[in-house]
Amino acid sequence: MKRPAIDRPWMPTPRLHQLLGAVGVLIVAGLAVSLLRQWMPENVGLLVFLTAVLINSAAFGFWIGLLSAIGALATFNFFFVEPHYTFFAARPQDLVTLLAFLLAAGLTGFLAGRLREQVDAARGRADVLEVLSAATTDLAGAASAAEIVGLSARHISALSHGPVVVVRRSDEGLRAIVAAPPSFQAAAIDLQAAEQALNRGQVEFATAEGWTGSRMNFHPVPAARNAAHAFGHLPIGTEWRDHSYREQAITSVLQQAAAALDRLVLTQKAEEGRVARDRQALRAALLSSLSHDLRTPLATILGSVTTLRDLRHSLPPAAQEDLFNATEEEAQRLARYVEKLLQMTRLMTGVSGDFHWVAPADCAEAAVARARRAFPAAQIRVDLPDLPMVRAEAGLLEQVVFSLIENAVRYAPGLIEVSGAVQADAVSLSLRDHGPGLPSAVMVWLASDELTPGMESAGLGLPICKGIARTLDGALSARPAPGGGTEFHLSLPRPAQGEGA
Amino acid sequence: MTAAHILIVDDEPQIQRFLVHALTASGYETSLAATGGQALAAVARAQPDLMILDLGLPDMNGKTVIETLRQSSDLPVIVLSAHDQEMEKIMALDLGADDFVSKPFAIGELLARLRVCLRAKPAAGAASVLRSGALTINRAGREVSVTDQPLRLTPKEFDLLIALVDNPGRVVTHRQLLGKVWGPAHVEDIPYLRVFIGQLRQKLEVAGMPVESIRTEPGVGYRWGLPAAI
Repeated sequence: MKRPAIDRPWMPTPRLHQLLGAVGVLIVAGLAVSLLRQWMPENVGLLVFLTAVLINSAAFGFWIGLLSAIGALATFNFFFVEPHYTFFAARPQDLVTLLAFLLAAGLTGFLAGRLREQVDAARGRADVLEVLSAATTDLAGAASAAEIVGLSARHISALSHGPVVVVRRSDEGLRAIVAAPPSFQAAAIDLQAAEQALNRGQVEFATAEGWTGSRMNFHPVPAARNAAHAFGHLPIGTEWRDHSYREQAITSVLQQAAAALDRLVLTQKAEEGRVARDRQALRAALLSSLSHDLRTPLATILGSVTTLRDLRHSLPPAAQEDLFNATEEEAQRLARYVEKLLQMTRLMTGVSGDFHWVAPADCAEAAVARARRAFPAAQIRVDLPDLPMVRAEAGLLEQVVFSLIENAVRYAPGLIEVSGAVQADAVSLSLRDHGPGLPSAVMVWLASDELTPGMESAGLGLPICKGIARTLDGALSARPAPGGGTEFHLSLPRPAQGEGA
Repeated sequence: MTAAHILIVDDEPQIQRFLVHALTASGYETSLAATGGQALAAVARAQPDLMILDLGLPDMNGKTVIETLRQSSDLPVIVLSAHDQEMEKIMALDLGADDFVSKPFAIGELLARLRVCLRAKPAAGAASVLRSGALTINRAGREVSVTDQPLRLTPKEFDLLIALVDNPGRVVTHRQLLGKVWGPAHVEDIPYLRVFIGQLRQKLEVAGMPVESIRTEPGVGYRWGLPAAI
């Protein structure tokens, strides 16, 4: 960004090149007047010189304007006024002309300077506004505290035309975490000033020249006692025309940074709340499923076994056989339930996001093989193309497919088809049944954000599937299949090209 | 006497499966219903002698089934309930279910409840003298004796004893006892009831009655634990 001029532009100190330029303009004017002297009355020649003076005055400022006025009149007098080639001004009106020239030159220089000053100020404001708007946009998009602090430091550095240092207080003490430019090193005295600002919750202003102390202003962010960050920047000297404007802008960036940091904390809290709510919901699902998935097998096993013991003598052999089978089936159902319970517990305590490369098709095949062992009567058709690998955990993926098959076996008698597909940014596993279709309440729940259906006597299967899909950053959806039945889709994000497989 | 006909109302096929085997082997006839609607239809059609009703039915609440049933029938009902359905179980009993069995249960427990409920319910106050074990109650004279030794009871204790012994082997809920002895305004005074039951138990025990004469059904009510004879 351009540094604003320190001096006063309507009376700028003349520079050599400006002086030469002014002389050039006067020479051009003199040549024009001498060439056109035959056709031009004397007063018109004077106007040409006046124009040259005004141009110089406007272009090069007050002092050069005045010099030009004197120079122009002298030249005019020397070359064009009788007696020629002398500076002698015989006529009294020539003195009046000189005064008029001086006045016009001075006034023009002054006005042009003021105008330039305003233009400069407007440009400076535009620059500051640009920084402010960039800061707002950047901070709104910032996703971490480090990003927020870094961006704010950069913008404040742009506003203050100097280095910026951000000091953070942590358990280990004070530390400069960000500097703009990065090469800038905060001195011990700066850290002291920062600590002062953090402790008092007030701006710690730079010490004046000649005194020991930090040369920087330190602002606590947020502007309160025991803030976490202190932003230090060089004060903007009062000799800068727009210093107050820039200081306001810096304050505004700091406030925005504080708000952004605040927002981050709130976002984190909301996220924590969401995770806690999810876990709570899973826990509730676990409890409500106890009746469904745990109690019935237990009741059947206990009932069958006690029947076999108490009524052994009056039971026909076929009935005894049936009761033994029921006991075995239910014991296996219990075993599967315990498996689910373990998965659920893992989901509740949080599966680490550290997944590895997994082939979804292999997991689906494994689930189908397991389902064929568990439900020998089920008709399952598998049509899996070669699917790209995804980041996941094989056991979780297998559990989703197995649970969906188990659900279908239980509620949707008929052919079960397992297939897969590749989309641009996702890999999906699909399961289609030919049953009566999902109850609308379940459909609504599946499409919702809720992890568990609010319905009573619901099983653990679908909530687990949904929970796993979410853990794997994917989604579980269902829709009525054409020709009856339901189609479930588990879609998993496909990692960026070249990252794997 | 023909075999009693039991209607099993449960939506879980596995439960139906072993219940059918057990009840058939015990000499009962069975029929099945998987929903509340089917159950009410089966009651009207097949006229069973007893209903075993699971409280967690898919279509309607077990309570609704009992409420609807009680409008037209006093068919004995045993509810099967889970432990987390405590409130529902109590409501079902207050609404007129005869007894309950908590899942999971051993078949012997259900069969015992079944036998009690199938026994003809004595019309309350029908018999002037009630006997149960060593206990004799003269209803009209409001006299109680244990092995012919008179037992002094307060009027409330006497009413409480009658309410229990009138339903031998069956659970009587807190609300039913309170309503019967203290009146409908006191059905919530369960701590009060607890005190009286405590006193009654102590007196019975001192007089030589077995400890299990009055059994506690935690959260639900009390049960007279001895068989009774008129």
